[in-house]
Amino acid sequence: MSKQLALVIDLNVCVGCHACVTSCKEWNTSGEAGFLSDDNPYGRDPTGTFFNRVQTFEVGEFPDTETVHFPKSCLHCEDPPCVPVCPTGASYKRAEDGIVLVDYDKCIGCKYCSWACPYGARELDEHQKVMKKCTLCVDRITDTSLAERDRKPACVLACPTSARLFGDIHDPASEVSVAIRENGGYPLMPEWGTHPANHYLPRRKTRRPLHADELVRHDNPLKVDGKLPRPATSEPSLDDVTSW
Amino acid sequence: MHSVITNAWKGDPYPIDTLFIFMANMAWNSTMNTGEVRKMLNDRDAGGNHKIPFIAVCDAFQSEMTAFADLVLPDTTYLERHDVMGMLDRPISEFDGPMDSVRIPVLPPKGECRPFQEVLLELGSRLKLPAFTLPDGSRKYRDYPDFIVRHETEPGSGIGFLAGWRGADGRSAMKGEPNPEQWKRYEENGCFFKLELPRSYQYMRNWNRGYMEWAQRVRIRRYGDPILIHLYSEVLQRFRLAAQGKWPGRRPPERLAARVERHFDPLPTYSLPLEAAHTDPIKYPLAAITQRPMAMYHAWDSQNAWLRQIHTHNYLFVNAATARAAGVEDGGWLWVESPWGKVRGMCRFSEAVEPGTVWTWNAIGKQPGAWGLAPGANEARKGFLLNHLITDALPDGTSNSDPVTGQAGWYDVRVRIYPAEPGEPQETFPVFDTLPRAPGTREAPVSWLAYVSGRISGR
Repeated sequence: MSKQLALVIDLNVCVGCHACVTSCKEWNTSGEAGFLSDDNPYGRDPTGTFFNRVQTFEVGEFPDTETVHFPKSCLHCEDPPCVPVCPTGASYKRAEDGIVLVDYDKCIGCKYCSWACPYGARELDEHQKVMKKCTLCVDRITDTSLAERDRKPACVLACPTSARLFGDIHDPASEVSVAIRENGGYPLMPEWGTHPANHYLPRRKTRRPLHADELVRHDNPLKVDGKLPRPATSEPSLDDVTSW
Repeated sequence: MHSVITNAWKGDPYPIDTLFIFMANMAWNSTMNTGEVRKMLNDRDAGGNHKIPFIAVCDAFQSEMTAFADLVLPDTTYLERHDVMGMLDRPISEFDGPMDSVRIPVLPPKGECRPFQEVLLELGSRLKLPAFTLPDGSRKYRDYPDFIVRHETEPGSGIGFLAGWRGADGRSAMKGEPNPEQWKRYEENGCFFKLELPRSYQYMRNWNRGYMEWAQRVRIRRYGDPILIHLYSEVLQRFRLAAQGKWPGRRPPERLAARVERHFDPLPTYSLPLEAAHTDPIKYPLAAITQRPMAMYHAWDSQNAWLRQIHTHNYLFVNAATARAAGVEDGGWLWVESPWGKVRGMCRFSEAVEPGTVWTWNAIGKQPGAWGLAPGANEARKGFLLNHLITDALPDGTSNSDPVTGQAGWYDVRVRIYPAEPGEPQETFPVFDTLPRAPGTREAPVSWLAYVSGRISGR
């Protein structure tokens, strides 16, 4: 089976810091998919083009509330509805790794693709007049001049909580496939039949039961610190320190 | 600290001739009682002279504070200077051993900008302060990097800012004579140093004898005795005895004796914040707190073109039930009022906030024209500061801070909320005059821009 690169985003870990949002823009505005313009950058109602945004919402009523930080970018669908609607062939899906891209030389800015995308993942750059979207940092992950560990999307490298994983979801042994399989990973709106490559890991409860016997020390029979029998100073210790 | 401007204005404990502020936005989001503090910064005595005669501010940005400065010293950013996160002030240590780190400039400073550390060192040297002067009166340190390498806590102590690669041969850690090659070693090692402790030293360090002895030898600690939690604190009791006149040593001043006696309780106790004694809990039923947004480093860089799109203005987050009971709508304008002041802002319903508490992001609101933003920027028209509601002094003249630790009472304020009247301006309150453009700066707002490989395009 062919390769399908994708992101897996753990909603249980994301804290909504926006490091992925800004690192994405930093890399891509200077990359092959750049630039990403900003309107009224220092004035009223600033707005701009981003490949990746974090939406924050609350679930439930106080006190049974959760605050969910939900990063959103192109899902690199396996059956992307943005591709067949494109009149010029600018919107395409790469055969070799499944990344959905836009060829700016062919794009006429007609916005059919953004109307066809059920996820709202595409943004027309108002100044270049072409459709822009997440490229999975294609110019970075394929750049062999970078160290192997740096050949990942900027958002993945920036995430301080490691909430974002990157890999081939068609390889059952990959980190992303294992994460999806073992942690209940799910695609967004599967009823649309788009088969998104990106998956999300659900919110889940982490509980640490503490039993009474864990609170009692068993390694101190005399119950008094400092009166434990001491080894001779000449005896070797657990590590390189024998002086105490 | 939080009363520095009030004290300078009052001349308490004595009048000063110069107020020197570094990277603290004390005319805005870093001060309590913002409106009054701004008046103090400009206030004059009966003779028409400024009560604070001369204000020097060092900052990398044009803030609300620089607007009050007689002299602005343009600072560099972190990319343009040497810095140290060293052993003498909050090193970056990990659980398994002490670590510290440095910054090494990657860009030259722009214009007349100069790292603040260099400015201080220059001042100290020119004023011939003893720490910066040799016995023959000549200058002791060439510059900040030289100071970092050669400064020792006491002559010959072997303890300085950085713990790594000490000693003439660079082989000592924690303690050792200054090593002129120290900066080079840090640079080679990715700008940090880590000393991994032996496994047996890593755990239960509060009573780990091996660790204790080592820590005392390298002088991380003065004493080698175990660190125990004092359920009965002899230290606190000594303060209480001193206040009662039963301790032979130093005693608190008469006017503070009762406060010390009351609050320095050797046993764990619960007490309301001091501010509660001066607040009507029926009239002001809600606690109000602030939090820094994760996407910004307080006021610094919150004017950044990308970051300000994440938080362009702030809301007061209120539990939906609390807001409805007060007649406030989601997204509507409301007043937040404490015994000390009131502000107008916008409300956002939240189920993630306790019904007796309201909160907002700190330092999003700006003075019109500050931070290089257009006067009509959302930060200035919709954003607001809670600082206007918080007082630095209580009505009895004492400081609004914790009597034991001195921690300023930022989170002690109680407020009430009510909707803005329909005819009121849909704008924050208070609004201060628009700051004029700083000399030598370009008109900031452009209609659009895009960054490409470090170059700015746009118009």
